[in-house]
Amino acid sequence: MRTLFKTMKLASLALLLGLSVTTTTRAQNARIDMGPLDHLGAQASEAVDVNIDERLMQITAKFLSGKEPDEVKIKELINGLKGIYVKSFEFENDGGYSQADVDSIRSQLRNPVWSKILNISSKREGSIEVYVMSNAAQVGGLVVLATDPKELTVVNIVGPVDLEKLSQLEGQFGVPDLGIEITKPKPKN
Amino acid sequence: MKRLLASTLLPLALLWPGLWFAPVAVDAKGDDFGAVVKVVEEFYGVKHKGIPFLAKAGIKTVTTVARLSGGSRKRLAEAGSVKVAFFEDQEFTPKGGVASFRANLKATLLGRWLPFIQVLSLNDAAQTYVFLRDAGPKYTVLVVTIEKNDAAVVQVNLAPQTLAELMQNPNEMGKAITDDATKTDDQE
Repeated sequence: MRTLFKTMKLASLALLLGLSVTTTTRAQNARIDMGPLDHLGAQASEAVDVNIDERLMQITAKFLSGKEPDEVKIKELINGLKGIYVKSFEFENDGGYSQADVDSIRSQLRNPVWSKILNISSKREGSIEVYVMSNAAQVGGLVVLATDPKELTVVNIVGPVDLEKLSQLEGQFGVPDLGIEITKPKPKN
Repeated sequence: MKRLLASTLLPLALLWPGLWFAPVAVDAKGDDFGAVVKVVEEFYGVKHKGIPFLAKAGIKTVTTVARLSGGSRKRLAEAGSVKVAFFEDQEFTPKGGVASFRANLKATLLGRWLPFIQVLSLNDAAQTYVFLRDAGPKYTVLVVTIEKNDAAVVQVNLAPQTLAELMQNPNEMGKAITDDATKTDDQE
């Protein structure tokens, strides 16, 4: 009986330890699960799915020559990034995706570690939402959720992102051109 | 005795990591390129042509082979690393839907290849899938391109520098590699 009790105690401890490790890992990881959107690929007129993980980011940063001005800019941009993940769907008609599809992404961003940036706008039609995950003083990741009646795009950048330079990533590494603009707050006078 | 064996071996089998990884290790040495070609053939009911078949096309082949073995022009792929299966003038109507084909493809390469990019275009009836894998100091890229009447499966080894350059525009990466491996110089 004593042995059984001891075993159960150890098992509970291991379970608690496992849970806390999982929670900590998740809390620090800015990668979101975009799997719930996979089914849209079959209905969309155009679907793009890009997965650039940390290893690939490192290769790119390491092997870009850095001699051309453009490459220097890109190297700076991606320095320290741990991944870029993009899912983008275009539909022939309105209603190609549902509110539940959008909520499958938004629900993950309701976690307190994520905060929505308010001073973001887009030159394009439709709505654009940008969420950042902040670890202490640093942005640890970012999610862009762009929707219009015929299009749904989710961009997930994992790692430290310079928000000022976010628009420079558009058109690179599979990040679509979203026309992102960060509007500076008006001075209070 | 049977019960004893089962009760002893089953937990061992579940716990011993070697048993979990053994099938993966065997598959990793296998021919993923061939397996993918088979997936395309079985799913669409088509038959591929390899480079030896293209050899019958005379001049086209000479240029193609020259390109594949690293001709005078700058090549993306490392010389001698290219595997191509070409499907020409055949019907690529997905019987079970694009999602089903994608699932088959992913299941074939699961765990050994990183699904890097996938572009589906319903209007053009086109699908492009790019998978990546470490190959020592280089990277092996497997590209599957399906169009309405043509398709290609291309596997190449890329130098990290080339991969880094292609990575900047991943949407075009599959096309660039497939064109490099299948088009002749005079087709460009």
